[in-house]
Amino acid sequence: MAVTTTALAVLAGGLLGPALLTAVAVVVPAVVGRILGRLLRTALLLTLPIAVSVLLVNLFFFPAGREILFQVGPIAATAEGLGFALETLARIGAISGAITLFYLTTPPSELVLDLERRGVSPRIAFVTLASVQTVPALVERAATITAAQRARGLDTEGSLWRRLHGVLPLAGPVLLGSITEVEERTMAFEARGFTRPGRRTLLWWPSDSGPQRLARWLLVLAVPLLVSARAVGWLGWLG
Amino acid sequence: MLALESVTYRYAGAPRPSLHDVSLELGEGEVVGLVGASEAGKTTLCLIASGLAPRTVGGTLTGRVLLDGEDTAPLAMDELAGRVGIAFASPTTQLSGVAATVYEEVGFGPMNLGVARPELIARIEEALAALRIEPLADRDPAQLSGGQQQLVAIAGLLALHPAHLVLDEPTAQLDPAGTAMVAEALAGLAAGGASILVAEQKTDLLAGICSRVVALDGGRVVLDGIAAEILADPRLTKLGVAPPAAVRLRRAVADANLPAAALARLEHALAAPR
Amino acid sequence: MTDLTLERVSYRYPKGGAVALDGIDLHIAAGERVALIGQNGSGKTTLVRHVNGLLRPSSGRVLHDDSDVAGRTVAQLARAVGLAFQDPDRQIFAGSVRREVEFGPRNLGLSGGALRAAVDEALAEVGLDGVADTNPYDLGASRRKLLALASVQAMRTPVLVLDEPTTGQDMRGVAIVKRVIDGAHVAGRTVIAISHDMGFVAETVDRVVVLRAGKVILDGTPALVFSKASWDALRSTYLEPPLPAIVGSQLGVAATPTDAALIAAL
Repeated sequence: MAVTTTALAVLAGGLLGPALLTAVAVVVPAVVGRILGRLLRTALLLTLPIAVSVLLVNLFFFPAGREILFQVGPIAATAEGLGFALETLARIGAISGAITLFYLTTPPSELVLDLERRGVSPRIAFVTLASVQTVPALVERAATITAAQRARGLDTEGSLWRRLHGVLPLAGPVLLGSITEVEERTMAFEARGFTRPGRRTLLWWPSDSGPQRLARWLLVLAVPLLVSARAVGWLGWLG
Repeated sequence: MLALESVTYRYAGAPRPSLHDVSLELGEGEVVGLVGASEAGKTTLCLIASGLAPRTVGGTLTGRVLLDGEDTAPLAMDELAGRVGIAFASPTTQLSGVAATVYEEVGFGPMNLGVARPELIARIEEALAALRIEPLADRDPAQLSGGQQQLVAIAGLLALHPAHLVLDEPTAQLDPAGTAMVAEALAGLAAGGASILVAEQKTDLLAGICSRVVALDGGRVVLDGIAAEILADPRLTKLGVAPPAAVRLRRAVADANLPAAALARLEHALAAPR
Repeated sequence: MTDLTLERVSYRYPKGGAVALDGIDLHIAAGERVALIGQNGSGKTTLVRHVNGLLRPSSGRVLHDDSDVAGRTVAQLARAVGLAFQDPDRQIFAGSVRREVEFGPRNLGLSGGALRAAVDEALAEVGLDGVADTNPYDLGASRRKLLALASVQAMRTPVLVLDEPTTGQDMRGVAIVKRVIDGAHVAGRTVIAISHDMGFVAETVDRVVVLRAGKVILDGTPALVFSKASWDALRSTYLEPPLPAIVGSQLGVAATPTDAALIAAL
């Protein structure tokens, strides 16, 4: 769903299109799932830097800008620039909203199990999962390593030059430790039969209801439809 | 019966072998303790007993490893997984990391082996019961204490229905509560007839559960016999292994030339349950 | 040499986390050998991280010689307090044992002959002088742990803090740790050791501080802390006194935390 929403967001032109899309595909499910607050916070956090630069760059430096809104010294903000910026922001909003929704509602283990049920090799599925889960462990390890090296006099609060000296004592154990950990994890996995060819027995898998399937297919179909619609020139009113 | 027959093993790229001509038997229902100084070869022996060496770990092995008389050399790791289970010292790296609950974590092994679903569920519940961790079944394994995680790891091994369990210093990273938890669990398994090979520095723990103790030094077996005898053997200290507290105390007392009456009272106190 | 004081120190993890330290009042005089014992989660590691500034109290003060450490950075405090972490692999980064041990003293400003001497001495103390040019990862886990100890020892700080120095060590390793602690004590340095090994604690330190849920529940000599009167408190935090203390109490003799003390009492 995240994929198709993204695709649709890119295709739907103008302001109204993406806004409508966001409302339907992102906000409604978020409200139903009661995660609207988290969704907004996370999505905002992720896209704020991009959003700000998109806004500023287009507002002031849009090439086709004619109608001047206001001036800041030598540079001028244009209406066309603002319009374009808003359109782009709407698209970005739809895309990041969709991705954030996906991330917040899908526990990694569900994703992996679902992929496996559809025939993806467990090894591939788990590598995907492992790479997601490595991040918090890596962060925690990096924090301990930083503390240990600081306790040996590594200066992390001084000048930039001094702090650059700390790269190897900090990065070294993070990498080496991660490698050791991967070795240990691999042994544990193999000792529990992970390398056996063939499918595994699954205890459970995420449920998939009729309405969910319908919603998915509708969205997927919408993509080629929209593409052809734009090609033919319809739906101009959507922007 | 798990047997190592004249095994010599060298890690890939190592200048010297880590094990020399090691022969060892682990029978059904036997609990064997493995002791030795650091780097004496305990971990290597555990890896070989489980099949991880030379398969996953690499290296060259001469000699034979036999399961019920059958040479394991042609068997792949996944074929051995169901026959010998191995647990390590680190509670966290053994967890699969892909299970949301302890229930699923314990099932990881048999799931991999393609065990049919009804059997899978039966095995999980049996393993949880054997280690008395049913109350933890719905918990997130990552949120448990080290000791609890080790119990989950061992339950995960039991669910494979292995003929033998190999444990490489399972309490090394645990606090006293965790160590007690694991020691009690192992005692329970031993009483139930499990075949266990457990490497440990904590000889007090081994004294409580092992029938036999094997001592390694420089990659060779130097002592192999009845637990109580080996743990009281004066040669153990020379090998760099700390004897159980009671043995140490008796030795210190013997060196101190105390009067007979005092010795008798001491023995009486040591024999009393605590 | 440095006196350490924790004055009503409380610490709560950020973002509304649990209370890890709850009003700790602790004074450790220069030159004391102290063991900090308690279950995982009792606050031992949190407490020692306050001593060198890695953590700052949510309330209360940490003092070195009556001077609040609040204004000083961790790097500055590393001159006074050397802290060896429990997992050596979260510290080791150099390609050789020697270069690893050099890191700490070099940060403190040592160089040339003085640096070499400090490193050589520390390596000899832990028995790694023969492998000074070896890659740390070619050593086994317990020798890497001794390497981490040497790395901090070489800094020759007035206070030495060891987080679980005997975990995973064999008998020889434990003996080396004991020797290092004794050597530091003779040189007038303070030693704080976090440990799960009650036998080791009874034989090595002069004072035992027991933590439970962020509070000090026992504080005294090993004889006192492991005597029968304290057993309820110890067992409430899943700790067991060492064997000589148990046997001694069964025989009706007091103050026998070690084999030697028990024998002397008989």
